[in-house]
Amino acid sequence: MPIRQRLKELLITELMLDMKTDDIGDDTPLFGPAGIGLDSVDALQVVVMLEKNFGFKMSDQEQARRVLHSVGTIADALEKRQAAA
Amino acid sequence: MHRSILITGANGALGLAIAESFLAREADCHVFLGVRERRDRARELAARFPGRADMIFLEITSPESWKTAMGEIEGRDRPLGALINNAGFHEDALLANMAQDQWSRVLDANLNAVFHGCQAVLPGMMRQCQGRIVNIASLSAIWSPAGQTNYAAAKAGVIGLTQSLAKESARMGITVNAVCPGYIEGGLPADWTAERLKTLKMQLPMRRFAEPSEVAAAVFFLASAEASYITGSTLKIDGGML
Repeated sequence: MPIRQRLKELLITELMLDMKTDDIGDDTPLFGPAGIGLDSVDALQVVVMLEKNFGFKMSDQEQARRVLHSVGTIADALEKRQAAA
Repeated sequence: MHRSILITGANGALGLAIAESFLAREADCHVFLGVRERRDRARELAARFPGRADMIFLEITSPESWKTAMGEIEGRDRPLGALINNAGFHEDALLANMAQDQWSRVLDANLNAVFHGCQAVLPGMMRQCQGRIVNIASLSAIWSPAGQTNYAAAKAGVIGLTQSLAKESARMGITVNAVCPGYIEGGLPADWTAERLKTLKMQLPMRRFAEPSEVAAAVFFLASAEASYITGSTLKIDGGML
């Protein structure tokens, strides 16, 4: 399964979002009223989700802010790490 | 449910009763009895349940001690399913006469320790997407008797922490609740005279103090699978006193 699709499914399942994967664009902001509307509690959960499912750990808050912008930015970070491995 | 339970202050009357409640009612759980220097009663309990209960050294006001204890617990074959923040003490004085360190010691042991404990167990519970935290507050948090500004403030803080953390962790399958016991048999200052205790009981609706097992039963329920939709709650267990 493509990484972006898998991320969307994980977000919906883990965060109990009442939406379908098609409702989440690759570039849709995850946080704030212009996007999906996740909050800081969800952010913490996404961090745990990435660690649990991909072994991906955030090094600091700045990286977290950058990576957790959208499904696309998360996928980019995962792919970049995979390429570097 | 194969899980471990960590109970702080496990050498005291209530801590022992909570441990015994888990050991008697949940056949496949393993109980860690958090203790410091005083451990005679916890040792006796562990001996009565061989292979099911272990003492573990825990200095609740030290994050390093929590880290060491969690390393030991998580190194075993089952996850930590519940933390019972039970340890605490009071050191009463009127505020006008209260020394700074009397204030600080009580805040450290009753409120900061709960913060350290929750912070130590949360990463593991978040990874598992399940967990139970039960914080033992006190009726003093609501009643706020004279002479307990430090203790009442600390325990009221525990209730606030409980409610806020419950919101932060609810979606991760972790529940956080508090109980507020009133007077408990075996948990009162040793220097209180029989006459004082008798007078006190006469003022209570049930005219008796709680048995530790009566408080433990509520703690066990809040830490059970059946209490899955209860979080952020504060349950007072005072025989109708307030």
